[in-house]
Amino acid sequence: MSSKHVVLGVFLLLLASLTTPLLYTYTSTLLEDMPRGVAEKVLAYRLYRSLYALLAGLVLAASGCMLQASLRNPLVDHYILGVGSGALFAVYTALLLVDRVSLWALSLAAIIGGLSALALTVVIAESVSGSDVAYVLSGIGVTSLFSGLSVLLLHYVVRKYAYASLMLTGTFVHSRPESLEYTLVAVVLVFLGYAFLSRKLNALMLGDDYAAQLGVNPGLTRLLASLVAGVSASIVVSQFGTIGFLGLVTPHVARLALRTSDNRLVIPLAMASGSLLLYVTDAVSKTMPGGVGEIPAGALISAVGAPFFLVLLARRFRGALR
Amino acid sequence: MISARKLTVVYKRSGVVALRGVDLTIPGNTVTCILGPNASGKTTLLKAIAQVVDYSGVVEISGRDAKSVLRELRRILSYASVLEERELLGVTVLDVLVYSRYPVSKGFFTSREDVEKAREVAVKLGIEGLLGRRLGELSAGELQRVVLAAALAREPKALLLDEPDSHLDVLAKTWLSEFLREISSSVTVVLSTHDPLFASATCEYFVVLSRGGVVFAGSKSELLENAHILEEVYGVPFTSVSLGDYRVLIPLSSQTRRVELASRGEPSRRETSCSSSSTRGDH
Repeated sequence: MSSKHVVLGVFLLLLASLTTPLLYTYTSTLLEDMPRGVAEKVLAYRLYRSLYALLAGLVLAASGCMLQASLRNPLVDHYILGVGSGALFAVYTALLLVDRVSLWALSLAAIIGGLSALALTVVIAESVSGSDVAYVLSGIGVTSLFSGLSVLLLHYVVRKYAYASLMLTGTFVHSRPESLEYTLVAVVLVFLGYAFLSRKLNALMLGDDYAAQLGVNPGLTRLLASLVAGVSASIVVSQFGTIGFLGLVTPHVARLALRTSDNRLVIPLAMASGSLLLYVTDAVSKTMPGGVGEIPAGALISAVGAPFFLVLLARRFRGALR
Repeated sequence: MISARKLTVVYKRSGVVALRGVDLTIPGNTVTCILGPNASGKTTLLKAIAQVVDYSGVVEISGRDAKSVLRELRRILSYASVLEERELLGVTVLDVLVYSRYPVSKGFFTSREDVEKAREVAVKLGIEGLLGRRLGELSAGELQRVVLAAALAREPKALLLDEPDSHLDVLAKTWLSEFLREISSSVTVVLSTHDPLFASATCEYFVVLSRGGVVFAGSKSELLENAHILEEVYGVPFTSVSLGDYRVLIPLSSQTRRVELASRGEPSRRETSCSSSSTRGDH
């Protein structure tokens, strides 16, 4: 199979993973027997909800790829590095301080919170040793800090905004048409990052000296990739809350499937698997047995993703001890 | 030909002066060796020529200021050092070779030509069986070959190698030595090494650094005649051994040297030189 076929296959998969679920949602809803006025509303809600789950999965997966490649660290994603909880904390703060806060302001707050948390994690990790494990530990510290603060704020926020508690682990329950433009901004951002940074990220994975002699500015590339990943993930958090481990797992899935580290292929395939995974998770979260109603999709993803993370961590340490 | 004038490198973070006003000319289409103890500036000199560290002064490649022809320089010169290997990022040998061709490759995706050239160089270095393997799965010796292959993947005119012989067994070192001499008919090779035996078996031109300055630059025969320079720099006595045309430098422990001199009944030989240092290596 030549590289051209692989490229084509990956992009067809991405297209299919976005369109098939939407088509399924559309047809399965039409087949249900509902009164006329209700059916349209249900269809619109379900389509938005499916679209958001797909696009959020796409953005978080791409963000994970960019963070892993630019920091040369297979153990990180936006959640591990504290971006998720930092952004959520800022969103809660904004919800609490401002009456009738606009989605625009909410997104901005999330970006500021997410990037601040990321900067904090990087500074602490670099001051310790800069190793991949230092990033994980520093990230856990920062995440705990902002998660704790978020839970604290939640008790007040929840009186003003009922869905706030679900955002703690990520949810698509409150899918509304207004979120579309923000989600699309994040999608456009990761595609721009893909187009302009994926080659550079490949060079960066070999080391800073290699990147430099291949004509890639390592510091600038790392900064731009972190910005794209941090901002896009923060926007997703501002709309749907924190969804952990998706950004961590999907790049590894793509690398395993493709048997390469090439971000020009890994990113689109990770996007495809992120979309599908989050869509399926959201669908399952709606149909939990026992009549408990909906559980947050993010919680389900964590339950699947966290063991995967532990396996990675174990392999990392076994590798180091060899 | 590569030359440097008043080349100074100061590492900003640590404030360490790695090179102090180095003036140097390295001949084209030869294998040049940079010798010197740890922290003498070998790696920094290679990095400065490769334009991957900031420096003051001038580096000229074929008479043109390297900074003004940077884009072309990235195509014709490659610098090979240690590859970062993060196993879980899944970087394969083929990936490394393809990425290393970026300055000469066209288009966004990997082209057929990139893959073909990568295969070609892999065959040349006997690592075609490793192309699909991840860096983390390789032995240190295999990784060293991959580093060399990466440097050669874009068919450079100048090749800078930072300790290419480390982690290699005797057979591989001999192979590397012959390989570098062979390609030096069309490629300027500059390497650093800690092994004087490998250096003198491989290289025709020598640069000796000490504490960021050049203390010797000249041909192999000149160095063999001035082995005391190495002795002063390393603090270990050296001797040259000849087997016909094959002349190499080997370091001696002070003990060996005394035994050797006693058995020959000679007070001192030119190659082993400098009697003052006979106690220096005695720890």
